[in-house]
Amino acid sequence: MSQSPEGFPILSARGVGKQVAGVSGGSGKEGGGLTILSDVSFEMAAGESLAVVGVSGSGKSTLLGLLAGLDLPSSGEIHLAGKCLNRLDEDGRARLRGAHVGFVFQSFQLLPSLTALENVMLPLELAGVAAAAEQATQLLARVGLAARLGHYPRQLSGGEQQRVAIARAFAISPSVLFADEPTGNLDAASGERVSELLFALNAEQGTTLVLVTHDERLAARCGRTLRLDAGRVVADGQ
Amino acid sequence: MANNLGHWRLAWRLLRRDWRAGELRVLLSALVIAVTATTAIGFFTDRLQRAMVGQSAELLGGDLLLQGPRPLALAWRQRAATEGLATSETLEFPSVVVSGDNFQLAGIRAVAAGFPLRGTLRTAATPYGAEQAVTTIPAAGEAWVEARLLPLLGLEVGGQFELGSLALRITRVLAFEPGGGGNFAALAPRVLINQADVTSAEVLQPGSRVSYISYFAGSEAALRRYRTWLEPQLEPSHRLTDVRHGPQARPSVGAALDRAEQYLGLASLVAVLLAGVAIAMGARRYSERHFDVAAVLRCLGAGQRDILALFLPQLLWLGLLGSTLGVILGFGLQFGLFYLLRELLPGTVPPAGWQPLAVGFLTGITVLAGFALPPVLRLKQVSALRVLRRELDPMPLRGWLVYGGALAAMGGLMWRYTGSAALTLGVLGGALAALLLLGLVAYALLRASRRLQRGVGVAWRYGLNNLWRRPLLSVSQILAFGLTLMAMALIALVRGDLLSTWQTQLPADAPNHFVVNVVPERVGAFGDFLAAGNIRSAGLYPMVRGRLAEVNGEPLAVRLPPGEEGAGAVNRELNLTWSSELPADNTITAGQWFGAAASGEAVVSVEAQLAVRLEVKLGDELRFNFGSGELAVTITSLRSVQWDSFRPNFFMIFPPGLLDNYPATYMTSFYLPDKRKGELAQMLRDFPAVTVIDLDRLMEQVRRILEQVTMAVEYVLLFVLLAGFAVLYAALQASLDERLYEGALLRTLGASRAQLRAGHLAEYALLGLLAGLFAAAGAELVAFILYQQVFQLAYTIKWPLWLLLPPVGALLIGAVGYWGTRRVVRNSPLVVLQGLS
Repeated sequence: MSQSPEGFPILSARGVGKQVAGVSGGSGKEGGGLTILSDVSFEMAAGESLAVVGVSGSGKSTLLGLLAGLDLPSSGEIHLAGKCLNRLDEDGRARLRGAHVGFVFQSFQLLPSLTALENVMLPLELAGVAAAAEQATQLLARVGLAARLGHYPRQLSGGEQQRVAIARAFAISPSVLFADEPTGNLDAASGERVSELLFALNAEQGTTLVLVTHDERLAARCGRTLRLDAGRVVADGQ
Repeated sequence: MANNLGHWRLAWRLLRRDWRAGELRVLLSALVIAVTATTAIGFFTDRLQRAMVGQSAELLGGDLLLQGPRPLALAWRQRAATEGLATSETLEFPSVVVSGDNFQLAGIRAVAAGFPLRGTLRTAATPYGAEQAVTTIPAAGEAWVEARLLPLLGLEVGGQFELGSLALRITRVLAFEPGGGGNFAALAPRVLINQADVTSAEVLQPGSRVSYISYFAGSEAALRRYRTWLEPQLEPSHRLTDVRHGPQARPSVGAALDRAEQYLGLASLVAVLLAGVAIAMGARRYSERHFDVAAVLRCLGAGQRDILALFLPQLLWLGLLGSTLGVILGFGLQFGLFYLLRELLPGTVPPAGWQPLAVGFLTGITVLAGFALPPVLRLKQVSALRVLRRELDPMPLRGWLVYGGALAAMGGLMWRYTGSAALTLGVLGGALAALLLLGLVAYALLRASRRLQRGVGVAWRYGLNNLWRRPLLSVSQILAFGLTLMAMALIALVRGDLLSTWQTQLPADAPNHFVVNVVPERVGAFGDFLAAGNIRSAGLYPMVRGRLAEVNGEPLAVRLPPGEEGAGAVNRELNLTWSSELPADNTITAGQWFGAAASGEAVVSVEAQLAVRLEVKLGDELRFNFGSGELAVTITSLRSVQWDSFRPNFFMIFPPGLLDNYPATYMTSFYLPDKRKGELAQMLRDFPAVTVIDLDRLMEQVRRILEQVTMAVEYVLLFVLLAGFAVLYAALQASLDERLYEGALLRTLGASRAQLRAGHLAEYALLGLLAGLFAAAGAELVAFILYQQVFQLAYTIKWPLWLLLPPVGALLIGAVGYWGTRRVVRNSPLVVLQGLS
């Protein structure tokens, strides 16, 4: 297991499991509820990149949600940026996300009512950054969208929307970036461009990257791969 | 984490964007409707109350006012002087004024120097010209008249008219007189004369309808002492009024106006309630469409408080914007109300205060808080996990939160309106029960309409299914439109149908003139005058004024149930008559008519309905008070009377000879066709003391008042209708996403645009049809009860309601629904399916 330069992991999971009562589509049955994840453990040092792969329904997205503090595990512990997520309430986890976490989603998740610039400004404004507009403009220029600042999401192509989402994700210089199938909704060329950008910015900012995908080529660009099957880690390797 | 300024800026930006995308239209328009209705009515009633109450003392003409049937007793005047109170006496009576062939019933007021003690008379040199406050009163031989009298008499300022045997010159136009207008005179144009002229006009005879009003002014302490001294000595016929005490402190406005105010207030509440429903639906959709935004924000690190800090300011801005717009619109629209009611209102209405603005604003914020806050609060419950699992909706709102907020908002507004917690709870409870009941009826209609499903094509079935699968939404819309249409139909019915029904039920030659104040010495001559002109009268009846004091030795005040003491016929002076013959349209219902043989016997015949109210029966003893004496009589018969026959009718009929000691005048009624009205001028010249009451003109006036009041109510009902449309629009919007999706799917599966259109049309036309049916049934039922119980008119089924309302509803709502769903048909299925994914 790798350690961060300071000697402690930026992200760690210990014996993480998730069970849901009475929800269909889980990975297996255990007792009365459905087990979606069981006994997932790993650690990540700052700057590392990890691909979580597996077939549909293997629990990839659930794991991502738990690691990012969007949900709490039924068992086990998750530590993010030195904080134990289990001990934080929803607002505490939100604060932690606001300070340390960036997201890129398969469906982009831009706010349709805000322009590209405003979407990128959003996390900066939530964090109370004064020069939000300047920083956001620079980031959009960095992802090649300097000319589309005032465009709304519906006026942008899928690839462009995902680049806006990447700019937004890197706006607060996150310690950890979670990407959920970032190229899943894109054609090959756009997907290629987006993944280039994602890894380039990741390298520039030294961000820790957790990438959920079933695109083996994309996974191969990460330093490590965690393979899930029916909610269990079946392989963890470089 | 974040600074507040950033939140506000972001909130503003989100709001602006939502506005441009049309997301806020439902919320805003519903809010504007609610605030506009409230503000317009608020301004209207506020200004009216200012006109009527705010200047009570000035309006009253004194600090204390004593009204009675006789001049102020000398002892009472002396006592007032000892207390240091200034006193001024006036007398008022109705009388006909004549100029050439023109004659008009007028309210005459004779004043003496010093009048008014408080406030000022305002006059103008020309009709509706610039008003001037004056400190004098008309000189002897002069009259100041209300502007509207001039055209009725065909005169201008400077012209002369006759009052009894006296010629008076019009020197000023009377714009405002303190203490003016008893309820009778409120209808008749006012004439102000000098008291010195009353005697020479010879219009007052013993028994004439005269009201003596004494005004007192002075220090509060002196007034209190005088009042305490005076009150025990007052007779039932006296009325004491001051600016602070009781409902009489408010000068008589006329019941029509009071009732209009109540209806308007109620209608505005209904508009607010409907708008509230639209707001709740709009807010729910707004909230649901922002679940994803909230989830992304949560994901990006926003806490629950941040979410509220982002969305509540939007609600607040929306509230401020909607309330401002509504208040401005309401301010403008109140002028419309004043215009519609112009003839009922005093000449000048003071400008409104700021309260209606505040109330309008408060209503806007309250309605928004009560109806929109609960759904918007739901946003803070959105889980960040929704970004990964879109189906993850926040917990549904608890019922008590949704309905509790709405109930609290409505209760608060109603409480402000009624000023009574008990009444508010009662009305709220009653309204809830009524809504529940009516909702069941509407639901039954909806259920019954399902039979239509058989034998219609797929498009129609699709449309009609839309109606049935959202039963709550459909029922609420049937109620909203049904009740609005019903109210409008009822008002149209009452205005148009009621008066004409009443008139057609009268024979063509029903008397249209009453004559009162024929003095005994001229009865013969008056009868000859009528005979000479071949005018058929209902016979001349003597009239003596007296008051019923006791029943079987028990004072009337003790006998009557609380609330009845003030009832007109019982407590005011009654017009009593004698006759040996039973009047033609009277029927004996109990006992026996005393007949000619009973002359001078102490018996009486009582009108049957009055007997019920007084709880008296045959054999009971009644004691009457005549001011100058008393009389005890035994009831020997009860009579039913046809009051709307327009013949002289009396509650009490005595045998001849019994009332000989008391001053009497005679009255009659007769029919005179329009073209012979000129003969009345001659009658008034020959008999200057008589008062002619022209029922045609009175009816015309009643009709005009009724028309104005109903128009004002209809004007406000327009707000209710608009609010109904807001509900429809909100419902359309609420189901639009689903409709778009289904429409796209149906078209992908091969449905044509025409089929989709037909489906939408079927859905909304049926909704309108059901609302129309509901309205027709409701209007029919309420009209039936009104006609039978209140107006006592024969009722026939109002077929036009059934023929008109359902198609009108279908057309109106069908058109709006068709228009509202056009996007479903217009957009390409691909765009829709992509946009929703």
